Amino acid sequence: MSKSKPLSTPDTNDNTTHFGFSTVDAADKQQKVGEVFHSVASNYDVMNDVMSAGMHRVWKRFAVDISGVKLGDNVLDIAGGSGDLSKLFAQKVGVNGSVTLTDINASMLAVGRDRMIDAGLQVPATQCNAEALPFADEQFDCVIVAFGLRNMTHKDIALAEMQRVLKVGGRLLVLEFSKVWQPLEKLYDAYSFKLLPFMGKLIAKDETSYQYLAESIRMHPDQETLKKLMLQAGFDRVDYHNLTAGVVALHKGTKC
Amino acid sequence: MLKPLATRFLQHLCAQNAWAKPQLQAHAGKVIRVQFGPISNNLAIIEDGSLVMAGETATPDASMQISLGLGLRLLAQDTAAKTEITLEGDTHLAADFGKVLQHMRWDFEDDAAQIIGDISATKITETARKTVEAAKNQTKNAAEMLAEFWQEEKPVLAKKLHVETFNQQVDILAADTARLEKRLEKLQKKLIKPLS
Repeated sequence: MSKSKPLSTPDTNDNTTHFGFSTVDAADKQQKVGEVFHSVASNYDVMNDVMSAGMHRVWKRFAVDISGVKLGDNVLDIAGGSGDLSKLFAQKVGVNGSVTLTDINASMLAVGRDRMIDAGLQVPATQCNAEALPFADEQFDCVIVAFGLRNMTHKDIALAEMQRVLKVGGRLLVLEFSKVWQPLEKLYDAYSFKLLPFMGKLIAKDETSYQYLAESIRMHPDQETLKKLMLQAGFDRVDYHNLTAGVVALHKGTKC
Repeated sequence: MLKPLATRFLQHLCAQNAWAKPQLQAHAGKVIRVQFGPISNNLAIIEDGSLVMAGETATPDASMQISLGLGLRLLAQDTAAKTEITLEGDTHLAADFGKVLQHMRWDFEDDAAQIIGDISATKITETARKTVEAAKNQTKNAAEMLAEFWQEEKPVLAKKLHVETFNQQVDILAADTARLEKRLEKLQKKLIKPLS
């Protein structure tokens, strides 16, 4: 039997929200997600490579390709973690542009910041909550959030914040796990709920965090629901790309 | 997997043909449907003026249709074939896109040089160019030989002169029939008048 749960829309009802398949107080989710990422930070990239067979690099490269970012642009990387995307964008914007790496989790941000420094890139790293971005209105040409939106407690507020900090004509890119192509659902469930926690246990010595990962993916809005959320947040020309049979979807919206 | 690869290649082509970006940038955000024979794909023009594969829910602003036969004629550099490409929707976008597509070239030699070095890349490209040219000439010769055989030895195809003569005769026949019809009408009217 499939372990998929009904997909949720904005989770702002009753002051409760989901944390994987569990229901928790909205105020507690941030801390619980923080604990998960603090636990996986040191093995984050190795696990990403193992779990996706390196595909996460292709998905991220694709996101950069369709961003339309050019020399001199200002890019905000939300929930940027280990800084893969910031690194790619830094090459694209050149010395006259800027990339700002942010993450709510200090452990993840430290990994990303150190990596930027090691690569000789001047990328400011800011620890902040995407639901209350510490940036002025209309500051960025492109905002990207990769594999971060599903962990946010109030997705609608976070999307509105991203819209606020974008310049007119700026783009939001949301790269996130999504609803897989229906014939592959059972196989994907078996992989997510059996193999993934096992690999977490084996490589990162942390089964629970990878169990949460699988559950949080199922609770995240599907392609069409997220498109509606982005439209509600004030984005126009919202469109999405299914990648690897919908395992991941890349949404793109423009602030008009 | 195909989408990221196709997009990567499109981006690479746009980077190699930087002159095309300002022309396409005027249409940033628009989507064009390109249909070549049974294959069709939506391409989007993004903010930096380059091309990417469009998303799942993109609505095309214009479409360009090229049949397989027309494609072969375009490959054979038949200039008349360019006027037969079907353009629909935002014609300004389709026309600009068509112009860009017409002049866009993949600098294979430059790409190969980065992997195997300049000298090898030049030699490989030269050999490939000569092979393609020879294959093109061979195909053209074979087609001409077959056409001649089917026209002269075993007539299956009509010669151009015969087709033109036939067309002229059909035109004359059509004109004669029309005249005869008018004459018959006049005669009928003359026959009806004395009776009334």
